[in-house]
Amino acid sequence: MTLRKRREMNLPDSVEKVLLGEDKIATRVAELAAQISADYADADDLILVGVLKGSFIFLADLARRLRVRHYVDFIALSSYNRGTVNGAVRLIMDTRMSVTGRHVLVVEDILDTGYTLHYLLRAFHARKPASLRSCVLLSKPERREIEVPVDYLGFEIPDVWVVGYGLDYADRFRTLPYIGALKRETYE
Amino acid sequence: MGLRDDIAKILVPEAELQRRVAELGQQINGTYSDDDRPLLVCVLKGAYVMLADLTRHLEIRHAVEFMEISSYGAGTVSSGVVRILLDLAQSIEGRHVLIVEDIIDSGRTLDYITRNLRTRGPASLRVCTLLSKPDRREIDVPLDMVGFEVPDEFVVGYGLDFAEEYRNLPFIGVLKDEVVQRRLGE
Repeated sequence: MTLRKRREMNLPDSVEKVLLGEDKIATRVAELAAQISADYADADDLILVGVLKGSFIFLADLARRLRVRHYVDFIALSSYNRGTVNGAVRLIMDTRMSVTGRHVLVVEDILDTGYTLHYLLRAFHARKPASLRSCVLLSKPERREIEVPVDYLGFEIPDVWVVGYGLDYADRFRTLPYIGALKRETYE
Repeated sequence: MGLRDDIAKILVPEAELQRRVAELGQQINGTYSDDDRPLLVCVLKGAYVMLADLTRHLEIRHAVEFMEISSYGAGTVSSGVVRILLDLAQSIEGRHVLIVEDIIDSGRTLDYITRNLRTRGPASLRVCTLLSKPDRREIDVPLDMVGFEVPDEFVVGYGLDFAEEYRNLPFIGVLKDEVVQRRLGE
């Protein structure tokens, strides 16, 4: 039995089932990377901006598959009091590199209400990049409250709490190599 | 791919890297228990690729945090004292902390980070680095887990950059001297 199979059969107690296995994720990430490599073949100055913490695994795998020169940078965000102000986020760490005149690709782990990505795209747009696109591993369309453009999407998933591959529940399960659905009684 | 043309030689091939990172993961599994719930502190940007692969092999409970630092001095020579651009989002008092680094060169930056974190009262503080360049060491820093010792050459890939490029190469390579000279002249 492969390591991947063994890991996916030996789930933590709080995880209901594997929603997306390691092989399925790897295949899709490679497809996204091929598409991005083709689209940016002639673009100088591509910069991937990973949103911490959730996107670091996705970004590490995606970037290694890219066949175009690019830079990698990170930003860290924090939401204000959850549930009070819709979508207001606080920028904790900005990019180190300037994005002005560069082709910016924002890399996110998951698109939920859409407020965070909406905020980010507006913030980067104001800095006059050469182009601005988004690459999101997972999207929960049922949860969307604000329309936001996604240029590269890994998977659409139902409205369940997902963990692994960068996504956490109370800082747990973030580094599971697959994406699992949490048992409802864990978060309800 | 253009990037690969800039590489003089491959120092650590992809398969060997993956095998060694898996071993480091097992070493971490053997060092800590679930109850320890160690906090892996990844020093950005270089260590993020290593962290992504390393954590796939962890079977013990753990959490991940990030730090981003910047040296005050210009150029590639580390002055040791660094500016913390992104600090940990949580307290480490009483926690078991494992710093995850891509490379230890002079040791000055790591020495500063460990001294800084130690003032916060962690239960334990260890260091896991993918690469170490012993020839470059200027200050003695204890390393608990080391992936590979490498000679004093311009290494890139697997998170390590030169002028922000080459981080995404899936192996550790040595840059061609002419590339280094050309980029330094730009």
